[in-house]
Amino acid sequence: MSITQSLGVVTGSTVRAKNVFKDIGAAFKNIAGGEIVAYTELLQESRNEALFRMLNDAAARGANAVVNVRFATSSVAGGAAELLAYGTAVVAQ
Amino acid sequence: MAEGEPFIGLIIVGLVLLFTIGPWVLSLIATFLYQPSQRKKLLARETAFAATGDTLTTLKKPFGDKEIKEFTMVSANVVMSPSWVQMWIGSIITIFGGEINVFTKIVDWARREAKQRLREQVAEAGFDAVINVRFETTVMSRTRGGKDRTSGVEILAYGTAIKY
Repeated sequence: MSITQSLGVVTGSTVRAKNVFKDIGAAFKNIAGGEIVAYTELLQESRNEALFRMLNDAAARGANAVVNVRFATSSVAGGAAELLAYGTAVVAQ
Repeated sequence: MAEGEPFIGLIIVGLVLLFTIGPWVLSLIATFLYQPSQRKKLLARETAFAATGDTLTTLKKPFGDKEIKEFTMVSANVVMSPSWVQMWIGSIITIFGGEINVFTKIVDWARREAKQRLREQVAEAGFDAVINVRFETTVMSRTRGGKDRTSGVEILAYGTAIKY
């Protein structure tokens, strides 16, 4: 497989927060420490959404693949997180 | 009624203790019993995989000149949280400086867990190795009373799974 054309950087992002009840559950789990499954799932779902948006961006440019994909995450406000996925849209044959 | 009053007092004292010391006792137990037991389970999973050699690598290309037949992006994440006791110990150490080993332990645990999940996920899907592995760390916080409190550290491990 070889890359024939580069179509620039494509990005997809989303800011998500878990509902208040799950936050309370997480607050209780904080007492004990260890994995907080609710947050693990939240971030996984959101990251998939960001990835999907990035792919949409790439498809709109006529690319059939995205290479060198990277993730970036930041906590925007209390309980909310921004997930960003970015990469280079290419035409590969 | 005079006999009932000390009984009510006892209930009030009991409730106050339950909501003040209770969480701390729970946290203490969790820190020194629950967390090590979880880490022991993780170690067992890691040892089961260690026999065949580590499939994860940060190299951009696989070792040797084997041809890649199939590839896909894989990722695994985990959110770990320090317990109240660990947060308290951590805040004390911050006064003196130096390594905060309670936090090191949590972040290291989370990263090991994420790596292991990636290995298991890849083995299950029938891939041979993961190249170009990268890590991403995020602090999740919750705002309470105008102060940001750490509620967890997220570790994401991702890379390209390949099949020879």
